Amino acid sequence: MVNPVLLIALPLLLAFVSIVFKAYKNNLLVFGTLLNAGLVLTLNKGQYIIGGFQPPFGINLVLDDFALTGILIINGLFLVITLMSLEKLEGFASVLLVALAGLNGLVLTGDLFNLFVFLEITAITAYILSSASKEYRYAFNYLVLGTLGSGLYLFGLIVLYAVFGTLNMADLSVKMAAVDASQLVLPSLLIFIGLAVEVKILPFNGWVKGVYSGTNSLVGPLFASVYAAGMLFVFGRIFAQVIPLGTYLRTSLVVLGALTLLAGEVAALSKTRIREILLYSSIGQSGLIAALFLSGLVFVAVMQLVNNALSKAILFTVAGQMADSTGTDEGEELQGAFLEHKIAGVGFTIAALSLIGLPLFYGFISKMNLLFGIFYSDNYWLPVVILLGTVIEGTYMVRLLVKLWTPGDEGIVSEKAFATERPLTIQSSKVMGIVVLSVVLLIGGLLPAVIQDNLTDSGSLLDEVTPAYLFDLKGGQ
Amino acid sequence: MTFDIVVILMFLGAFSAYLISKASLKAGAYATTVFSLGALAVLLMGRSEIGSEFSVLFMNFEVTVIGWYFSGVMVLVYAMTSFFNSFWMDKMMYPGSYNFLYLFSLAGTLGLFFASDLITLFIFWEVVVWSSTFIIPMGKSRRAAVVYYTISSIGSMATLYGIMLVYRISGTLVIQEAFVPLKEDPLTATVVFVIFVMAGLTKIGIFPFHIWLPLAHGSAPHTFSPVLSGGLVKMGAFIAYMSVAILPAYEAFEGSLKIMGIPLQLYFLMILGAISIVLGTLMAIKQEDAKKLIAYSSVANGGYILIGILMMDQLSFAGSMMHLFNHAIASAAAFLAIAVVAYRTGTTKISELGGMIHRMPLTYLTYLIAIISLAGIPPMGGFVSKWLIIQGLADRGLMFMALAAFFGSIGSFLYVFRPLAAVFLGQLKPEHEHLKSEPLMMKIPMVILMVLILYFGVLPKWLLGIIGEIQVAAGIEPVMMSGNTILAVNGVLNTLNVFMIFGFGFLISLIIFLLMQKSRRVGLMDTYTSAEFIYTPELYHYAGAFYAPFERLYQNHPSVEKFLGAIAWKFHELGTVVNALFFSHKPAVTVFWTSVILVMITLGGAGI
Repeated sequence: MVNPVLLIALPLLLAFVSIVFKAYKNNLLVFGTLLNAGLVLTLNKGQYIIGGFQPPFGINLVLDDFALTGILIINGLFLVITLMSLEKLEGFASVLLVALAGLNGLVLTGDLFNLFVFLEITAITAYILSSASKEYRYAFNYLVLGTLGSGLYLFGLIVLYAVFGTLNMADLSVKMAAVDASQLVLPSLLIFIGLAVEVKILPFNGWVKGVYSGTNSLVGPLFASVYAAGMLFVFGRIFAQVIPLGTYLRTSLVVLGALTLLAGEVAALSKTRIREILLYSSIGQSGLIAALFLSGLVFVAVMQLVNNALSKAILFTVAGQMADSTGTDEGEELQGAFLEHKIAGVGFTIAALSLIGLPLFYGFISKMNLLFGIFYSDNYWLPVVILLGTVIEGTYMVRLLVKLWTPGDEGIVSEKAFATERPLTIQSSKVMGIVVLSVVLLIGGLLPAVIQDNLTDSGSLLDEVTPAYLFDLKGGQ
Repeated sequence: MTFDIVVILMFLGAFSAYLISKASLKAGAYATTVFSLGALAVLLMGRSEIGSEFSVLFMNFEVTVIGWYFSGVMVLVYAMTSFFNSFWMDKMMYPGSYNFLYLFSLAGTLGLFFASDLITLFIFWEVVVWSSTFIIPMGKSRRAAVVYYTISSIGSMATLYGIMLVYRISGTLVIQEAFVPLKEDPLTATVVFVIFVMAGLTKIGIFPFHIWLPLAHGSAPHTFSPVLSGGLVKMGAFIAYMSVAILPAYEAFEGSLKIMGIPLQLYFLMILGAISIVLGTLMAIKQEDAKKLIAYSSVANGGYILIGILMMDQLSFAGSMMHLFNHAIASAAAFLAIAVVAYRTGTTKISELGGMIHRMPLTYLTYLIAIISLAGIPPMGGFVSKWLIIQGLADRGLMFMALAAFFGSIGSFLYVFRPLAAVFLGQLKPEHEHLKSEPLMMKIPMVILMVLILYFGVLPKWLLGIIGEIQVAAGIEPVMMSGNTILAVNGVLNTLNVFMIFGFGFLISLIIFLLMQKSRRVGLMDTYTSAEFIYTPELYHYAGAFYAPFERLYQNHPSVEKFLGAIAWKFHELGTVVNALFFSHKPAVTVFWTSVILVMITLGGAGI
């Protein structure tokens, strides 16, 4: 039986080795990510005790369906994104290995303080990676706000420890459930804000604008899909399973999530640079997924999270590549950019349509399920916000797609001659990665059972919080 | 051959058309013709299989009479237009993708009309929307595609909310069962009705959602405008039919306030339909571009169709169903005629054209017959359907609607005459002296459409028979015919007699024409003004400001475009405000907001 701690320990070990054998660090990175992705497939569910102390006294790793889905997505996407950008690593190989360890640890750990440690590790790698854009000021801002977040998280943790005397998640959730939730507003809120900085909830996400808008084709997809997925999985773990929220706090935070969705989409509408559009869309999606987790709709939140992670990996790869090779990601400058890159263009289009939630793509299945879920929790205002967000998202995405496919001014028939003359290049490794990811989105949209069955398990453990109203796609059951 | 194979084959056909286009563009374009004609043949032959049910993947279908009728109309328009595709292959930005999306959207409409559950319905609705969204920007305008998508998506998202609400209440998505519990609850039924019908309104182009039509129809590729205007708009009528007939609205709103026997909810929509008729007519009169003109006439005709469907009675409903068919083929024929002109001359601006009858007489005849039908003049199909609609309205005493319908008919004389006079009649421009006649492949669909328009205007029995079946299926009295006479409460209409009278009149004028002295052709530039020669042919064109005195009557009209544009701009501004408030490059701003949230939520929590 494989111990999941290897997922954390091996990349860390390889990271240290890679510092000694600098010449081989890229090979070590590929080896590490492949190894991790392979290991994920051999894991068995269960609780793994680290260090020999029984929980709640010692540290343990919890590998339930939720965590398994999490590490599957994180390691899978990490592998694809790394392989797509091997020539672009710029000496980040060791950092990436540490990041992989940290992200796996985040999702696997069953202890709140251990989680803090992994949060810090992951955040430090993120600060380093964000300096790849050479915009050190934004990286520094991220550092300041990230530190603020983890400080508040730690503060909340201390309060909880002082009250309940435990930091084990399972133990703490039992003990907290026994107390009136209105007594726990402050520590819950502190932990929320601590995580919200990384999850990109309004108004704690001031760093996103600077950091995401300068990302290259490696860092962009890593941040927007892998880091975002990891942080959202932690968020879901804490707020759907560990910390019970009172009605008041739950409602306020769901409203905050919904506002994040709207603010993100509206801000994206007013932007013209591709990466800026995408970063605000990421903020919106994070708000949506967080609102779903907070409403206790874990299963559909995971579905939407997967959709967002897959789509954003494609979108940011292409956008980053555009910026890397042409020096701009201004939509107006890149009219007709897909004319010479049809496969990447089709992948980009599929990702964008899936993100909007249009049928035949996986995003449609997840959007239907999440709407059914919200309606069945008798919430009638959140769907209005989500559908409004969808209209706005569709508008700016279609505007962008139309521009990238069909060049030409208004009133003139679109022609090849109007296409941008900037030299866009997309390496074949990237094209292959994009094809793989978009095929997954297509399969998920046409044969939802394939992804559905794998994901259903991640909800089953949480059946108490997730009412079982899965959209069974048989015309209603 | 069954319908499930058709739906699957059409989707596969779309992919194969793309692959064939990679080998040869012309062959790919002909593939669209072969596949859509095949679908048409199967539909016509498979009429006996109405009522069959099938499932594909997770989607469920049932072939109903109305679904069969709508898909027949749609496939006919697609098939006729597809003859034109091959001529634009070398002008198109992405010809292969165009062929693919062309068949893909057709397959989507088939799935939509056969859907037996609400999710399947919604899936295909969205499939058609996004596939057609990517065809439009290959034409003259990128903005048109975005506006089209946004307006469509406002409608479809509202409908999706309605679907979810229905599912929450009734626990089923099967179309025939889902709405049943609503009959007991008029308030919820009103909410569901209003939001469910939204997708229909946006698609038909009912005021105030009409703004996408002139933009998209006017600037889409010439081969796609006929499909947009003749075909895809009819999807909206299908949703409108569902909201009235399947809900069923008249039963659910039995207890609500009624105006002339029409529940207020429906009456309100009828008023929107009437506004669309008036507005579409007035705006069409103003247009300088032939395609935009027909697009606005589609807005007006959409108003007729909506009002007729909402009536759910013996006459108006039958008229509306028939008008749907008549408008589909007439508007497709008119757009195709303009496409021929655009193919040969490269422009659709009225003032740059003229005298086309001398170079392409068949196109002129097609356009003439199409617009006579659009305007509702006998002996064309459009007359029969408009007559039925007005009969029904007058019978119920709905004078406001009837007036609008009447105004629309009279007004359409004004706007259809102008392209006829200015594009096809009048003087041929010197640069058009050497134009060639229309190619054979363009003649085929135009002749077919012409024959259909005339045939169903004279002998509408077969068509009205199917419409009668639809009416029986919807639980209303079917339209009655004896021989070639349509029986209505306030009078009868014998279409054959009407045709005879017109035919007789035509014969007499033909005799006079032949007996009279033959006219002598004078070249456009063969003239002078105050002893000055003019060398710019445009100045001799009389189409500019054709109806200036009439247009002056409403030149300062309020514009809903401006209003909607202002709303869109407000969203844009909101984005900038949000950006300035929350997304700052200064960490201090974030720290400030964090403290605010922390204090506010904690204080609020302490108060509880």
